Amino acid sequence: MTLKRSILLVDDEVSILRTLRMVFEHEGYEVATAANAADAIRLLTRNGCFDAVITDLNMEQEDVGLEVARAAMDCKPKPAVVVCTGFASTKNSRAALAMGIDYMAYKPVELDDLISALNRLILRRQDSGGRN
Amino acid sequence: MAKTPSPKVTQSPRMALIVHSDLGVLSNLQSTLSENGYTAIVARDLPTALLAITHHYFDVAIVASQLKEGGDGWPLAGVLHLVFPRAFVSVLAPSDGDVLTLQSAINYGVREVYRESSPAQEVVRNILAAVDPSRNENTRVQ
Repeated sequence: MTLKRSILLVDDEVSILRTLRMVFEHEGYEVATAANAADAIRLLTRNGCFDAVITDLNMEQEDVGLEVARAAMDCKPKPAVVVCTGFASTKNSRAALAMGIDYMAYKPVELDDLISALNRLILRRQDSGGRN
Repeated sequence: MAKTPSPKVTQSPRMALIVHSDLGVLSNLQSTLSENGYTAIVARDLPTALLAITHHYFDVAIVASQLKEGGDGWPLAGVLHLVFPRAFVSVLAPSDGDVLTLQSAINYGVREVYRESSPAQEVVRNILAAVDPSRNENTRVQ
């Protein structure tokens, strides 16, 4: 029996959350969602055992998704952390690079690329015992 | 009874890989890294770089974003990140501040991007500060 991979999706646009939930459930993931950064950080600090986290950047505040990413990166084992944004800037991209975010996708997202990157990141994370 | 001398613990030299098609850039980076205690292996093309990866364990890598064609250095940087996950992999790119360059850096697991026109001393100083923050105040490169 194989355990389902788990993923936390964070976006303040309900339609995006619904679409991504459908996509990742279809891919065999167990999906949790949060519609704002505060809820996401609460979920991560309470039961942070997700294999992956995909977060929007601009929600209740500009670039607050970086706070979600930071909370995710503090989890042990560390999930694969993906930032997804329609408002990329030099400032937030540089901050994401400095934090060691695993993947950055710009909206509109190529779903095939996102799924394949996520699968690769999760496999590598499993190989390294969540150290990377 | 005389004490048996304890075996000496020898620390292997820190290894750096530099991949760039320009011999001048290679030479400047190599000598600056050597001055700072690194053994620097250089490669001017992808096959040589791949050969070096199979022969050494690298702590630091500096790769040009363009080796033969624009952007072909990025996947090599990604390979270096996969093979040496603890290494500080950096890329020299035409721009260090545009969004697409930074996105490539994140998605290929690169730790830092430097403008390709940056002096070797500045690049190496930044890398050493990131790899070993204690050298920050007492770096040999001025």
